[in-house]
Amino acid sequence: MNKWQIFTRGLVKENAVLILMIGLCPALATSGTVRDGFGMGLAATFVLLFSNIIISIMRKRIPHEVRIPIFILIISTFVTIIDYFMQAYQPDLYRALGVFVPLIVVNCMILGRAEAYASKNSVINSALDGLGVGLGFTLTLTVIGAIREMLGSGTLLGVAVFGEAFKQSPVIFMILPPGAFLVIGVLKALINKYVK
Amino acid sequence: MTSPRQMVVTLLTVAIVCSIILSFVYSFTSPRIIETQKRMTLDGLKQVIEAHEFVEVIPDTLWNAVDSLGNTIGIVFRVFPQGYGGLIPITVGFNLEEKITGIRIASAAEGLKETPGLGVKITEPDFVQQFIGKRGSQISITKDGGEIDAITAATISSRAVCSGIRKGIETYLCYLTPSYDKNLLFPDAEFIEVIKDTLWYAVRDNDTIGIVFTAITQGYIDCITFIVGVNNGATITGVDILSSNETEGYGALIRNREFLDQFRQGTPEAITGATISSQALINAVTDGLTRFKEYLK
Repeated sequence: MNKWQIFTRGLVKENAVLILMIGLCPALATSGTVRDGFGMGLAATFVLLFSNIIISIMRKRIPHEVRIPIFILIISTFVTIIDYFMQAYQPDLYRALGVFVPLIVVNCMILGRAEAYASKNSVINSALDGLGVGLGFTLTLTVIGAIREMLGSGTLLGVAVFGEAFKQSPVIFMILPPGAFLVIGVLKALINKYVK
Repeated sequence: MTSPRQMVVTLLTVAIVCSIILSFVYSFTSPRIIETQKRMTLDGLKQVIEAHEFVEVIPDTLWNAVDSLGNTIGIVFRVFPQGYGGLIPITVGFNLEEKITGIRIASAAEGLKETPGLGVKITEPDFVQQFIGKRGSQISITKDGGEIDAITAATISSRAVCSGIRKGIETYLCYLTPSYDKNLLFPDAEFIEVIKDTLWYAVRDNDTIGIVFTAITQGYIDCITFIVGVNNGATITGVDILSSNETEGYGALIRNREFLDQFRQGTPEAITGATISSQALINAVTDGLTRFKEYLK
């Protein structure tokens, strides 16, 4: 597999949310608007990229028996760093993502890549894998966020898209939890039909 | 199979390195985090009342709004009434005329848990602006006899906002004390604070000529705060009401100049129709005089 394939694999073909069905909790909870979905995606990508790199560098030194606690330690360190940075420099985004930033720690997508890929492959490949999977996750959350925001709030990035009348009485349930399940389900169906 | 020793050493090393990195990041982000939070709180306060500065009275709950000359122009307080989905964080600005200058309800991104599309509409200008210029007694939804139009299909949220603000006004009204020009009690004097916000010496030409004190008493509806000037002969030079919320036309008569001026000649008679309010004030002035007499020289 060449480098380009390693990178693009995570975007669609092995998309974490829509194909592997992992990392669903943040995908459901933070995709009410484009901005939240995109912000969550980037935060997770950052963590995934760096945790993959560090874990790949250390892969020969990590004893097999204690690998999971070590992975978690490394991941949670990156999450805490991003948590501090967001609080300090992006307080609005921080408040929007709220509890979900700390929850990146237990996002099984990140631990999954560490275990399944980074702990067995070279640093370059692990970085590409992390970046690809992370961007695939960001893309998915942004698309879900866009659909839900347009239908559920009548806006896109806060700007009315279907006119002011629709914004006054949008399909509210789209920004509630059932809307997230519905959108993910429809996207999954489309991907199954056209991509596989 | 790795030796247990190696497992422990590796795990420990990783943990120590992670802690060092984190404490380093924390050391330079934490001042910025505190500053950001302070700025955001301040921005929130400025949205409800125009003021030069805010002096925190109760941490994260109550502030005095002060103009550029240092005079109090109102207060800002925060309340958290129970709404439909959770607590509703509301910031309220309240001026010396005892009217609301503005309210701000936290958005969903800031922790509002009302139903999207319904309860969340309490944050919209159409709803929020209704509160501007209203008194505490006018704050309830029209269905309950007040002057606030509730949001259709979000009565619980609308009602919660009203009751939260009303209760907040009741609680914090006592803190609404205008900066009082004490020279009205002792012309041309200077004042030296003896007990913070409570007692001052009036000094003229390096001589102490009397004292000024403030006190609070329970009136008919709410507390009454007032200020009293006493000269060295233990005679009252003047009494003024700083804040009261007594009934219009009855208890509010204690603000009448004729009534207040009687204190200079001794103990006045209670006002007919405002017995409770005026008697409370008379008793409190007498009590204050007894309490602070020892400070007279």
